[in-house]
Amino acid sequence: MKVWIKCSVICALLVFIVSGCARQDEKNKRNTAGSGLRIVITLFPLYDFSRAIIGDKGTVVMLVPPGMEPHSFEPRPDDVARISKSSLFIYTNRYMEPWADRIVKGIASPQLVVVNAGEGLTYLESTGNAHEKHDHAEEHKHRQSAVYDPHVWLDFGNAVKMVANITQAITAADPGNRQYYENNAAALKKRLEDMDKRYSKGLADCSSRLVMHGGHYAFGYMAHRYKLDYRSLSGVSSESEPSAAKMAKMVRQIKASGVRYLFAEEMLSPRISETIAAETGASVLRLHGAHNIAVDEYNKGTTFFDLMDVNLKMLQKGLGCSEK
Amino acid sequence: MQREVIRAENLSCSYTNSMVLDRISVVVDAGDYVGVVGPNGSGKSTFIKALLGLCSLSGGSISLFGTPQASFRQWERVGYLPQSLAMQNALFPATVAETVALGLLSGKRFPRKILSQDRYKVEQTLALLGVDALRNKLIGELSGGQQQRVFLARALVNDPELLILDEPTAALDPETRERFYGLIGDLNRTRGTTLLLVTHDTGVIGGYASKMLYLDKSVLFYGSFDQFCHSSEMSALFGSPSQHIICHRH
Amino acid sequence: MQEVPLMEIFVYGFVQRAMLAGSLISVLCSVLGVFLVLRRMSLIGDGLAHVTFGSAAMALAMKLYSASSLLISIPVVLLSSLGILKLMEKGRLSGDAAIGIVSAAGIAAGIILASIGGGYNVDLLSYLFGNILSITFEEVCIAVVLFVVVMVMMLLFYNDLVAVTLSEELAKVSGVPTRLISSVLVCLTALSVVLAMKLVGIMLITALLVIPAASALQVARSFKICVLLAGLQGVVSVLAGIVISFQFNLPTSASVVVLNLVLFMVACLVRRLRVTGSNS
Repeated sequence: MKVWIKCSVICALLVFIVSGCARQDEKNKRNTAGSGLRIVITLFPLYDFSRAIIGDKGTVVMLVPPGMEPHSFEPRPDDVARISKSSLFIYTNRYMEPWADRIVKGIASPQLVVVNAGEGLTYLESTGNAHEKHDHAEEHKHRQSAVYDPHVWLDFGNAVKMVANITQAITAADPGNRQYYENNAAALKKRLEDMDKRYSKGLADCSSRLVMHGGHYAFGYMAHRYKLDYRSLSGVSSESEPSAAKMAKMVRQIKASGVRYLFAEEMLSPRISETIAAETGASVLRLHGAHNIAVDEYNKGTTFFDLMDVNLKMLQKGLGCSEK
Repeated sequence: MQREVIRAENLSCSYTNSMVLDRISVVVDAGDYVGVVGPNGSGKSTFIKALLGLCSLSGGSISLFGTPQASFRQWERVGYLPQSLAMQNALFPATVAETVALGLLSGKRFPRKILSQDRYKVEQTLALLGVDALRNKLIGELSGGQQQRVFLARALVNDPELLILDEPTAALDPETRERFYGLIGDLNRTRGTTLLLVTHDTGVIGGYASKMLYLDKSVLFYGSFDQFCHSSEMSALFGSPSQHIICHRH
Repeated sequence: MQEVPLMEIFVYGFVQRAMLAGSLISVLCSVLGVFLVLRRMSLIGDGLAHVTFGSAAMALAMKLYSASSLLISIPVVLLSSLGILKLMEKGRLSGDAAIGIVSAAGIAAGIILASIGGGYNVDLLSYLFGNILSITFEEVCIAVVLFVVVMVMMLLFYNDLVAVTLSEELAKVSGVPTRLISSVLVCLTALSVVLAMKLVGIMLITALLVIPAASALQVARSFKICVLLAGLQGVVSVLAGIVISFQFNLPTSASVVVLNLVLFMVACLVRRLRVTGSNS
């Protein structure tokens, strides 16, 4: 008898604590104030763009919690519920969130509009280092020959198109505020274009164009746009384990080229980059891929532009670019 | 001079709510050969475990060699052969020699190291039990009877004054059983080792043991085999024909 | 795809550290593993790794990173290992069930704590699981200290451990403090899992705790030889695994594990041949 009572009390306590925490969790999923249109997005860039466009006329909820690496994200049941209760579900592209299709098939909500923010963009194949095998083949099983790089938002030209896609969807869902949304979108596009210009100028005159990255292949699009020679240690997904041979090769490349800076990515442990740096005498600089942000930054309201401004400074330092 | 080896007074031991042993009082003197018999579930094994500190008492006291059980530390004076020590893991990688050497741990203090001078004790005991040819074989590879002898060797390696055996012949064939009884009978006669042997074979043990302890949760009889055969209480319990059959052999 | 000639790989500092720390860790894991496997507690490495995950989530929630998170992890994992023993004793469960319970509790705690926080500043898993290729000099020192601690304890308690592993009952009647010995074994395992996980990651730890011991059990002709063989397989698999991962451009941890599996199959084969050899 006594044992049963003890167990029931403990179970009740646990349920209480967990539901209390769940409520807290809901509150923490910060949204912009105001009712109106309810949008659920997946990654941070979409979050930043959407909230800029929607202003105070709706709420934006970020599905992947701050601090979590999105390449390994799997949606939970309450995430699915959250999506089904909203008007718009916006994801980045098919290669970044391969689970997006699966999820929306399971949602019977008629008013839900699913938006692929990456519609109509040109996708580059992820080459990493040429002729490399890719470790994340299982995520792209159905695409036999080509493996596409999902990190499109780091090319600001693409970002502008993504903003257009998002605006179109938002306006379709709430045509009454069309002018408001389009004004916001125009301002956002202008900021993106200005930043693109700053990057072009800032990276024009550098002593090296070699970007050595000890993380996964995230900056392909950025490198493509500004004509940088980008080498990363791992493939397109953050889950791949770097091989010893690749590490040694990068060490040799760094020593041969004489670059003094190596880049590490956000949020993941920089162990591997630090190891390579220690081996070569280089220093480590952080480059933020904007997949997701730290909870402290999230709470402070850090924007995509804040992150990219810092990235520019880091690139300029690492590549020895003259200040303009 | 008779020394008390075991003194149990009003011993009670219970698992959960059922009373397995009920106020047992027994005294075993040095040199005794006691057969512990009784039906299944009578608490024979529990009695043994209580003596060895493997079961917690709910009442009464036990002392070994004059020392209360709880503070008894001279385990080199005690050898124990547990019930059906079948090797659950046939892959257990210890050799016969290593297994018997483990018996030496009783006489050591931390850190318990087995030294080269201990080897001769191990060899002697192996020879005594006729398993010295098997010394480098893995115990998992031996037959039941051979394993039995190896564990008996382990129990004997320190030349203990008290040897406790729990149903040692249950899995043996009659021939091996006879040899086994012969062996431990020798120990009792030549070395004066006190023996406490739990068994089903009431008839067989009667021929060897100097005393019989009949347990069925409490002590129903404690005395010599002769007394056992002539006891009217035992007749009442077994029925005369059974008692006659049991005692018939002798 | 030989990009680097064999001799050259030893030039790299990270390779030297990987080989040194990796060897030390593999030996201590293999030796502990013999006793764990025989006591049907093979998956304790996995279970304790899950508890470490939960404790790391707790530490990150308290904003303790890297070295200071160990202040939380080490006590929590040590207590959990003792908890497993307690469950086995009081709950009358065998090792695998007790481990399963504690392991599930660890994961659940980690997941709940991770979602309570509303997010983190860093990715939990990438900080938790190390990589043999990224071992720093300080971590090599940790590996050396851990190795010395574990091996000294193993030597001091060797006979006690063998006795308790063979039969707890008999060991008790021999005056061996069985509870203490079991506690020492699981606590050493807990310490090794927490520290070594940060150095070489979870896959290697759990494999090294089980496979070398399992292989040695196939062919050993005495307990001493069993322990020595297990340790030897540990070292060989790590050193050869690192070299092979270079030569064939493969992930290093996985190469080490695959080598262990190959050696296990070789051991089984040897055993098979011995049996048929003695039968003919």
